[in-house]
Amino acid sequence: MQLSLRISLIIIMLIYLFCIAKSVKRKNMRIGYLVFWSIIGLLLIIALIVPNLVNNISRIVGFEIPLNMILSVAIFIILYLIFHLMTLISKEEKKNTLLIQEVSMLKKRVEDLEKKEE
Amino acid sequence: MKVLIIIPAYNEQENILGTVNKIKEYSEELDYIVINDGSTDNTEKILIENNINHIKLINNLGIGGAVQTGYKYAYENGFDIAIQFDGDGQHDINYVPNICEPILNGQADMVIGTRYLDKSSSKFQSTFMRRLGSNIISIFIKVFAGKKITDPTSGFRAVNKKVIEEFAKEYPKEYPEPESTVSLLVNGYKVEETPVNMNERTGGTSSIRLWKSVDYMVKVVLAIIIDSISLKRRRKK
Repeated sequence: MQLSLRISLIIIMLIYLFCIAKSVKRKNMRIGYLVFWSIIGLLLIIALIVPNLVNNISRIVGFEIPLNMILSVAIFIILYLIFHLMTLISKEEKKNTLLIQEVSMLKKRVEDLEKKEE
Repeated sequence: MKVLIIIPAYNEQENILGTVNKIKEYSEELDYIVINDGSTDNTEKILIENNINHIKLINNLGIGGAVQTGYKYAYENGFDIAIQFDGDGQHDINYVPNICEPILNGQADMVIGTRYLDKSSSKFQSTFMRRLGSNIISIFIKVFAGKKITDPTSGFRAVNKKVIEEFAKEYPKEYPEPESTVSLLVNGYKVEETPVNMNERTGGTSSIRLWKSVDYMVKVVLAIIIDSISLKRRRKK
């Protein structure tokens, strides 16, 4: 990889980490998720700074081309994330249903009581 | 003996008044509750203007969530029997005694009104594809829950107090009719069927397309298998 490309990628990663830090400050994402994204950012920066790190790891693990390793790892992480998010959505759906039911029933009860008073 | 009729309604402005009036004509003693599942048409207006006992869900939940609200209402108000009854005019109120009888005798915890048991009594037998679908679901319920249910997607059903409590706590949301049947059977409740007459929809549209029904079939069968296995596991523990 050419030095100029390496440097520009490192700069992009630093901007990325800066954005994460900003989100931490604003508290618009759960801290657990922010930790996950910061670890990914840090790993990418280490991979960019340490020469031949990715090449060596992929050779030891047995990938023919380093790119294959990076893509497989990325796909696995994305699959895990989607799975995690779908679980979360299903859980939230359940809570949401309960909330809608209870609020609607309460509303009816209040309206009935108001009618009785009249 | 307090009996509640639960009528889920989503955008049923053409049918809902007729359905409720038929119930009122049939008997003044029957309690009913319409669950307006966040309708976007004039359903709510009609319900208020005619002073119909109803709960308006503040957001659309789908048939499962709406019906469960009815069971919760039945549970909180101490009803002994709850009858699920469609708001679109498909079900015939005259069959209420038939559908309650096995519960009153203690023969069943849930009774499903089926179109297929007695060919002569129902004018509306529905299409070949629908029957084929019902048959396939039937076979899977027989294999995984151990009882033959001829009309597993029927929404005309009555349940007793124990099942009201069960459904108030936990009711399947995705494919409520077949899934609730499986969960009751696996948990050792008695489910019976009784023949009823069903009319064709008097208004509105039932949108059942081939691809949609194939998709529905596959997912229902999967749901039946998953439900029966996970429930059996939980029971063993």
